[in-house]
Amino acid sequence: MIENGFNRRDFLKVLGWGGTAVALSGCGNTSIEDGKETVVSYVEPTDFMIPSIGVYYNSTCAQCDAGCNIEGRVREGRVLKLEGNPASSINRGKLCGLGQAGVQAHYNPDRLREPLLRNGDKGEAITWEKALTLINEKLNGLKGQEIAFLTGGVSGHVKVLLNNYLDALGSKNHYAYEPVSPSVVRAANKKAYGVEMPRLHLDKAKVIVSFGADFLGAWISPVHFSQQYAQFRKGSRPEGRGILVQIESKMTLTGANADRWIPIRPGTEGILAMGIINALGAGVPADVAAAAKDYTSDRVSDHTGVPAAQIIKLAEVLKANSPSLVLAGSAAEGYVHGSQNAAAIALLNQVLGNVGRTVDASINLQDTRLMPATGNRAALQVLNDNMAQGQFKVLFSFGTNPVYTAPAALKFQENLKKVSFKVAFSHYMDETALQADLVLPLDSALEDWGTSVPEYLVDPYLSIQQPLMENLNPDTHGVGDILLSLLKQRLAEAYKPYDDFYSFLRSAMVLNKAALGGTGTDDDTFWNDTLGNARVKLPATVANLSPRATASTLNLPSPAREIGAYPLRLIPSVSASMRDGRHANLSWLQESPDPLTTVVWDSWVEIHPKTAAKLGIVEGDIVEVTSPNGSVKSQAYLFPGIHPDAVSMPLGYGHEAMGRYAKDTGANVFKILDPAFDKETGELAINETNVRINKIGKRVVIVKEEGPNGGSQLGRKKIAVKVASNKVDLSKEV
Amino acid sequence: MHRFLRLSFMLVGMFIATGCYATDTTLPITTADDLGPQIDQPIEFPHNRHAGLHNPADDADPSKPATGGMEINCMYCHTYARRSMVAGIPPLRKCIGCHQSILSVRETPRIKKLFEYWDAKKPVPWKKVHDLPDFVRFNHERHIQRFVFQQGKPVQEACGYCHGDIKTMTVARRQKPISMGWCAECHQKDHLVDATSTKTSHGPNDCFTCHK
Repeated sequence: MIENGFNRRDFLKVLGWGGTAVALSGCGNTSIEDGKETVVSYVEPTDFMIPSIGVYYNSTCAQCDAGCNIEGRVREGRVLKLEGNPASSINRGKLCGLGQAGVQAHYNPDRLREPLLRNGDKGEAITWEKALTLINEKLNGLKGQEIAFLTGGVSGHVKVLLNNYLDALGSKNHYAYEPVSPSVVRAANKKAYGVEMPRLHLDKAKVIVSFGADFLGAWISPVHFSQQYAQFRKGSRPEGRGILVQIESKMTLTGANADRWIPIRPGTEGILAMGIINALGAGVPADVAAAAKDYTSDRVSDHTGVPAAQIIKLAEVLKANSPSLVLAGSAAEGYVHGSQNAAAIALLNQVLGNVGRTVDASINLQDTRLMPATGNRAALQVLNDNMAQGQFKVLFSFGTNPVYTAPAALKFQENLKKVSFKVAFSHYMDETALQADLVLPLDSALEDWGTSVPEYLVDPYLSIQQPLMENLNPDTHGVGDILLSLLKQRLAEAYKPYDDFYSFLRSAMVLNKAALGGTGTDDDTFWNDTLGNARVKLPATVANLSPRATASTLNLPSPAREIGAYPLRLIPSVSASMRDGRHANLSWLQESPDPLTTVVWDSWVEIHPKTAAKLGIVEGDIVEVTSPNGSVKSQAYLFPGIHPDAVSMPLGYGHEAMGRYAKDTGANVFKILDPAFDKETGELAINETNVRINKIGKRVVIVKEEGPNGGSQLGRKKIAVKVASNKVDLSKEV
Repeated sequence: MHRFLRLSFMLVGMFIATGCYATDTTLPITTADDLGPQIDQPIEFPHNRHAGLHNPADDADPSKPATGGMEINCMYCHTYARRSMVAGIPPLRKCIGCHQSILSVRETPRIKKLFEYWDAKKPVPWKKVHDLPDFVRFNHERHIQRFVFQQGKPVQEACGYCHGDIKTMTVARRQKPISMGWCAECHQKDHLVDATSTKTSHGPNDCFTCHK
């Protein structure tokens, strides 16, 4: 024993106590990291800039062509959040998920950071001076017809500069291409109403019958239509709560919201429209009635698969509730006879007396140069044919990704190789940029200047896009700035006054301030006010509606029964977040569940449970979808909201490049589409592909939001009572 | 056993004593134990010169010549403290605003360096002295509004609750533990609602107040 001291046991106990005390006092201090991070103050702040307090700037959304007005919250010089601009007549303070994800398009880790020049298989970083000089060298000595510019939909001052540049080069080859565009409806509207894009008043209609127009999801201007739809559904409005009937082969978000969703045999929408005209009976003009007389409800029912009683009921509802509105969407257009479908549907609208009431004239801007160059697929076809003949030596591409979206049958990628010098203006290293010889990195929409006029014009306003923050990467340039630099190579004198695209834009607006409502204000005030609102009213007139839909040219083919090697119809779906795949690299969009299937981070094959049972497929089976043009593999998802003769896959997935989130996520449906085209417009008939489905013997657990019972949860709990669709009284069904 | 009991009593007693001391008495503005590390800043900013007392002696005679600081209000430079979550490092323009007219120190090394930053239009890369973890949300505005504007406490006292007696320092150095327990301890105390009232209230005790 040790005298006058602690024995071993006491020593350990005290050590224990002491250890506890040290641990307690140390608790909570461990994560303070003084002196490691730098805190950066402003050098010269503006008075309203207070750290940690957001400042809102107005701008314009560039995520799709609807051109919604947005306001961005900026804090400490960084944009954090986007919302709709309440003053906007397009979106009235609201913004969709696609628009919200604009922040991710800006901060995306896979954005291009410097100009890249092809060196074998690799891209070599070069300076902007070198890149622009190289373009100039390649263009020297070329004839105008050897140069082409491929873009998505463009409008506003960028379009003006683009056209000026092509003029300076003596070229007329501007191809505006959009893989999923309403160009069939445009043509049908032009024929039926005299305008391409009439303004619709969903909020004034008592009944809306929509043939596959997904106006709540991805159709033309979804945020605008959603707002009208909210009004349409209000019981307190004078017309009462409206009734929505959606007729389509594959349920869309709009279909899921409808009072009655009617599955229809793919491609027979026009026949059903004629059947409804026939069922309307008295009051239909004689010539139309004569044309519709063969479309008896029994025959139409046989063709379309819609019960005869329901066709009669629909006609009754439409007759009793005027004004109504009949819409033709992409599901009705995407056929070889898509224009005929759209024409028949427009005819129904006219017979019902909706033209001038719920279908209104569009707006014509006085300055047509600012109007959008609307994209369509036919433009790509012409470009592709010309490339195949080796016509082009230099091709510029901007805002579109045809190597990904063109059907494999077009052999676009091979034809692209025949162009000796390809310049891609791009945000990401996407499939088209990968094929280019020179890639120019673009500013994001939140860093760049621009103006836009949406195709669906609610009010005659020019929307202004302005930078919400400084460039993240010093070596990206705005598309306007690049065009201006290129123009200066050709017309140095004329563009000398403009240092950059900003000064071009400012002088273009300030010079016209009298026409833009700025009379009596000085230039700076006018310009600051314009930027503050980020929208300015343009002089415009309202076009004349000339309803002249006629039944005489209608030619609606009876549906061919598909038997043989490819028994099912493939209906590629345009989802609200993925669209044509241009934003596939935004992880928010990949992880936000599809509204109907709740699937995330992958594509899927929607199959009707009955069809699946016949083929022995259960949810999660990996199936191979084979068309005459190729095949893709994806997971099967059983879904009652689809016609039994059809299967559906979402577009926009399955990128081979474009960034870490897009690459190899899902399967690319564009590749297996048939090269079938609408006979009148040349638009790709997107729903004309027949496929067969095989199990490959692998099964996965589908990653989705809904519970294990999936869509059958409702039925199990007996919440909704099932009523046969022809027994439902639509007028009372609210 | 005897020894062990004695030892335990002593330890428990010490805990209770320090606990009572901590809750019942006002904490001294600086406790040497809680000092943060000494941090090298790009410019050794003299807080004592700017915020220090004009004449530091207790029996200062106003007629005597000034010996010390300028007695500038903390919020003259840290102007965002009363309006925002963060106190904010003063913008460079604020420094220059005064110093362009103070010719007596214009050629001193620190001020020369300051003007070099200004001429290059570059912010001074100050190091954070009080760096809370990212999961903690501290709001300066709430505290300054409560203590300075409602209770009428002197600014240096209110700031000093957390930052210590800055007016005696050159480069600021952390004086308090700034741990959760330390924050909560003050939130449990009774604080007067405003300068004239006798009502008291506690600081919020919700997790979500700071962790969101």
